[in-house]
Formats: sequence, C-alpha cells, structure tokens
Amino acid sequence: MPPLFSVPGVVQGRFLGLLCVVALFLSVIYYMRRKKSLYIRKVAGLDAIEDAVGRATEMRKPAVCSFGIGGFGYSTVFGLAILSYVAELSAKMGTRLIVPTGGGTASMVVRPVAQDIVRQAYIAAGREDMYKDEDIPFFSGQQYAYIGGYVGVLQRTRPAVVVMVGSHASETLNITETSNAVGAIVISSATSVSYAAFLTCSSDYCLIGEEGPAAGAYLSQDPSQRASIGSQDLFKWVALILIVVGLAAYNVGSDVIIRLLQS
Amino acid sequence: MSAFFKSREVILTAAGLAFVATFVPYFVTIPELSVISTKLVTITALVNAFTLALAVHSQFMRGMYFVRRRSRGWILKAYMMVTIVLMVIFATMGQDKGPYNWVMLAIVNPLSSVNYGILAFYMASTCARAFRARNMKALLFLAAGFIVLFYQAPLTGSIFPGIEPVALYLTDTFAMAITRTFTMSVTLGAIIFGARVLMGKQPQVLGLGGE
Amino acid sequence: MSVSDEKEKSIFRYLSEYDRRIIYFLLFIVVVGPLISPIAMPISVSPDSKQYYDVLRTLGSNDIVLTVLDTEFSGYMELQSGVIASTRMIIEKESKMAVAISHPEATIIPDILFGALKDLMDAHHYTYGDSYLVLGYIYQNEASVASSAEDFQGFVRQDWQGRPIKGTFLEQVRSWKDISLIVSHTTGILSGSVMNHFALRGTRMIVNCIGGMIPGQKTYLNTGILKAVLPAMRGGAELESLIGIRGLGTKAMDAFTLGHYMLIAFIIIGNIGYFGYARPRAQKARTGG
Repeated sequence: MPPLFSVPGVVQGRFLGLLCVVALFLSVIYYMRRKKSLYIRKVAGLDAIEDAVGRATEMRKPAVCSFGIGGFGYSTVFGLAILSYVAELSAKMGTRLIVPTGGGTASMVVRPVAQDIVRQAYIAAGREDMYKDEDIPFFSGQQYAYIGGYVGVLQRTRPAVVVMVGSHASETLNITETSNAVGAIVISSATSVSYAAFLTCSSDYCLIGEEGPAAGAYLSQDPSQRASIGSQDLFKWVALILIVVGLAAYNVGSDVIIRLLQS
Repeated sequence: MSAFFKSREVILTAAGLAFVATFVPYFVTIPELSVISTKLVTITALVNAFTLALAVHSQFMRGMYFVRRRSRGWILKAYMMVTIVLMVIFATMGQDKGPYNWVMLAIVNPLSSVNYGILAFYMASTCARAFRARNMKALLFLAAGFIVLFYQAPLTGSIFPGIEPVALYLTDTFAMAITRTFTMSVTLGAIIFGARVLMGKQPQVLGLGGE
Repeated sequence: MSVSDEKEKSIFRYLSEYDRRIIYFLLFIVVVGPLISPIAMPISVSPDSKQYYDVLRTLGSNDIVLTVLDTEFSGYMELQSGVIASTRMIIEKESKMAVAISHPEATIIPDILFGALKDLMDAHHYTYGDSYLVLGYIYQNEASVASSAEDFQGFVRQDWQGRPIKGTFLEQVRSWKDISLIVSHTTGILSGSVMNHFALRGTRMIVNCIGGMIPGQKTYLNTGILKAVLPAMRGGAELESLIGIRGLGTKAMDAFTLGHYMLIAFIIIGNIGYFGYARPRAQKARTGG
C-alpha cells in the first residue's frame, strides 16, 4: 500500500515518525515549563509499599528493594524513585533496608546513585548509623550470578517485604517464588510484557506497565518525570483516536488512515 | 583542561551534537551527515568495546580493596580475581581448543544452563500456588491460559486440532493487543527519556552526578 | 504439613498447602522419564513454524545470511533445536553464512553447531571461508549493531580468529542492504537493536526466540517487520519435522508435552485445594464464624 504522501528530502515512510518524535520533545518542554504541576493520581500500589514496610518494622525483619538490572534507562529511573521512597520509609521506621544491585553489564553505573539515595534517606531521618555499605551488595553484572546472590539474601535474611521495581527479566520467577517461600510480601512492577502476566499472578501487588513510571513521577515530585507522564498520556490519546478513526475508516472501505501512518 | 571537558555545558553539547548527527540522517537524506553518523557510530562501538577492559580493571581494583581490608567474603573476591586472570591467560592460549574451551564447556555453560532450567521448577511452584480463580476475571484468565497451555503441548494439536484456532485467536487478539500497548508505552517512554537526558534533566546518565 | 498445628486435616487442606518439593520431584520425574524412555508422541506443526520454514526455503546459493547468536548458553539449550535445524536448511541451500555473537557464553556455540552438522557440510562442500565465517563476539551493544548495519566493512575487518574477511564473500557486504536474510536466535539481549537497525530498514529478518519472548515478537511479525517467528523449542521440533529429521527438539517434545500437562494439573490441584479449604477458611475468618 503506498503512503498517503511523501516529503522531499525525508526518507519514505519516516515523516510521521519524525513528526511524532519532534512533537514528543516539544510536549515535554511544554509540560516542564508549565507553572502548574501536572496532576498524577496516587497509584494504589504505593499504599501497599507503606503498609508492607510497616509490617517489616513490626516483625523486626528487614525490607529488600531492588530497582532493576539495567543501566540508566526509562525503567531504572522510576525504580530509583521508588527505592528513594522505600528508603525514606525504612529510615523513618528504623527498618533495615537491603538493596541487591547488579544483574546487567550497565548496572554498575547505577549502583553509586542507589547508594547515595539510601544514605541520604538514613541521614535525613537521623539514623546514619543504620546505613551499611554491605546492605547494598553488588552481585555481579551477570544475570544468573545476580539471581544466586539475591535468592541467597532472601533465604538468609528472610525479609518481610520484597519490593522489586524497575526492569527485571527472568529473575522475577526466582525472586517471587523465593520471597513467597520465606513468607515475604512481594510488590513488583511489570515493565516487560514477557513477565507481566507472571508477576501479576505471583506478586501480592503489581504495578503494571505505566503504573510504575507514574508511581515514580508521583513520588519524586520531579517536574521532568511528571512532564514525561503527561506527554505519554497525550500521545496515547492521539494513538487511541487514530485507532478508532482508522478502524472506522477501514470498515467503510477507506485506507486513508493506514496510508497516512505509512507516510 | 579536564574541568572544561567535564563541565555540564560541554557534556550536554556533545550529547546533543551526537544525537543530531545520528538521529537526523535516519529521517532526512543528507549524505554528508550520513557519513558522519556512520563514523560516529563505529567510533562508539569501538569505545564501548574498550569498556570491557575497563570493567575488568574496575573489578580488579574493587576486589583488591576487599582483599586488603579482609572484609566479609574477601576470599570469594580473591577467587574471582584469580579466575579473571586464569581466563585471560586461557583465552590467549586459544579459544577453540584447550583450557578456555574446557572451562566454558565443563563449568560455565552447564552452570548457566542449570540456572535456566531451575526456572521450570519455579514456574511449576507458581502454578500450584498462585494461579487461583479468585473471581470471575481470574477464572476467565485461567480458562484462556488453559487453552493456550494445552495448545502449546504439541500432542494436543495433533489429537485435537480444533484447539488451534481458539488458541491462536486468543494469542493473536488479546495477547497481541496487550503486547502492542506495552510496546507503545515503552517506546514513548524511551523517546521522552532521551529528551530528558538531552535537556540535562537526567544528569546521572551523562555522569554529571545528582542535582 | 507446612502450617501451624490445627485439628482440621482434610484432603483439600493438603492439596492447598502441600510441600513444594513434591512439585519439584514430580516435575523432575515427568520431564526426565520421557528423555530416558522416549514415547515418540506425534507433533503438530503450527502456522508460525511453517512460515519460518517457508522463508528459509526461499534462500539460494547467492544469498548471504547473517546468523546472530543473541543468547547466553543457557538460552541456547532452549533454542538449540531451532538453531541446528535453521543452519541445516541454510547449508542445504548452500547460502553463504556469517555468524555473529552477542554474548561471551555463546562463543563456543559455533563449534558445537558446526560439529553437529559436519556430515551435511562435507556433503555440500560447505567450507569455512568460502561458505561460512564465524565473526565471533562482535555485538556487545546497540552501537556495534548500528555500526555493522551502516558500515559493515568499517566495523568488521576480521573473523573471530583474526583472519581478514577481505577475499571472502563478506567483502561484498557494505551495509544492511547487502544482507539477504538475518536469522536471529535470541533470548532478547540485542534482538531489538538488530531489528531496529536491520529489519526496520528493509533487511529480511526471522527470529528463533525463547518462549517468554513470543508474544512480544509476534507483534512485529504481525506488522511485517519480522518475516517469521519460530516459537522456542516447540518451534524447533516442528521445523525438524518439516525438514524430516528427528533431532534434539523432537526428542524433547515428549517431556515438553508431559511437562505442560503437569503444570495444568498443578493449577487444577491448587484450585481444588483453594476452593475446598483456603477460600472457605478465609471467608469464615472474615465473617468471624
């Protein structure tokens, strides 16, 4: 099917993509410059995190929080925002927090940021003595070595809550099952479609898809993260309208929307 | 001099120029920019390859720190450093035969495979524990899951061919829709994340430290 | 039982709370048994595997195939049957093949792969240098994939043993345009990058992926970016049955089938226990009865 139009100088079939990227950039700038902060509703899973850390305090057991195995990416950023929240709660309630790091080749780069986040949370709560470097172990840049270390931590420390956010891959199976075996509540985020179904079933609470980044934006109060959520929502509406209009057009025998999207 | 190159403005400018040099040629036909883009990408690939050596060095330095202090688990760190050295020596002796090949075939790969195989047991445990028909929605999900699971077993398809259209319908409509939703969300998020990096709102990505 | 001592002992309670080691043991028996004593159950062929087979059938002796081993060795265990069957077809078509690797653990896979197909290679005079080359661990990240797509000669100068590619069939490969087909055997390490830099530009690409990746890959199949997706070990077994050999995949299908049925049985047993014991107990606790 030929595209609806082509623009001289632009590679065929990529004009709309270029337009989309430019529009995304502009929308992020617009939302960041807005004086009024973008409203994001509180994601239900966040209450579960607060309750779970409280449970850990009552049971005098540690909390475990991991932010993913990737480098600095979309998923890791919200993972760090949620880690910051968990660290604040743990510091306020006097609960030991363990943060297993590693699992990917770029994860070493993120570790110092995570250390800083946890340390600052304990300092802010006046419990600097509770911060220990050994509680933020680095379990190798290899996924399976990371899994081994993580599962070992769970089995030795028997935490009351495991918060597993950010980008995780097949280690989700090992971690959720082991967490259940040691009696921990599991709060996770499903950023990958491959593991979303599994996490939804095996976790006690699951932030599915965009709920994770939305939770990160809500917690961090960072205008740029909120702007991201706003821009994404805007473009999802555009996509929704295009789908509905395209379906309607296709059903009446018009391929204009399909050809437009191929331009 | 190094302070100049480590400054926020210079780093952001370099990131911005690199972005423009690689992004624009993908959409707009500018032959000169295409050449620059190609060379830049090749240079990036080579620099990234050298980071492997940097990673080995970093692990060594970190390991030495643990061993010198006799921190908890220092013996494992020492073991790790010895294995790094051994594997580098073995690799220089040849990768298709000899000790490198033996270590990979006899130790690394079987251990890696076992870790992967264990996932099946965890999945079975989850099936027994977590897949409950707690409400109507869960019941519908389970029913769909049963049909797809049955279809995945090759024997079912051959003794009961009628399951194939049903299973394929479930995967090609509902599963496809969910996957597309995830893909759109992740793609939009990745583009916007890139925008935030270029605007300097994610300083850690460029090694600028927290704000 | 794995819970506190209560007077109530019933079959439903047991089915709801039995030790998970029983699960592990039963699964082990069900999977290992057929491997020791094969049952040779029939295999049906899915449309996806047929599509993959049809794409490979279009290859000719002038085509250059880039086989990407985008997997750790652990993932290779699931993809092995598909890898061997795909490579077998490429050799039978006498197409030229370059093997690129994206994980250090996969560097020994070419030895295993070509060792398993030695007889076929001898029959077709499929020799190293003329017919195929192993480039080694060249794809460490997206930048390397992008570089090879845009400037192949600038990025790849030699094979994995340091021999220059000048004078081989790879000399004519300048960019993504010159590759006839990419066969990606992947656990998801760099499959997205290969798709972005090759398939989205127009290189034909087919994927042999692990089970967990199938839903994600099928969206690209649906849009035409990928030409075919071979679904994990089952797809490998189906491909073997299409090309008429009884390979590792086919032999594993008995265990695969029984394993799936066992998972279904566990779900049913768990739900019987849930409805017979756990749910009434929870409802009783809520109402205070």
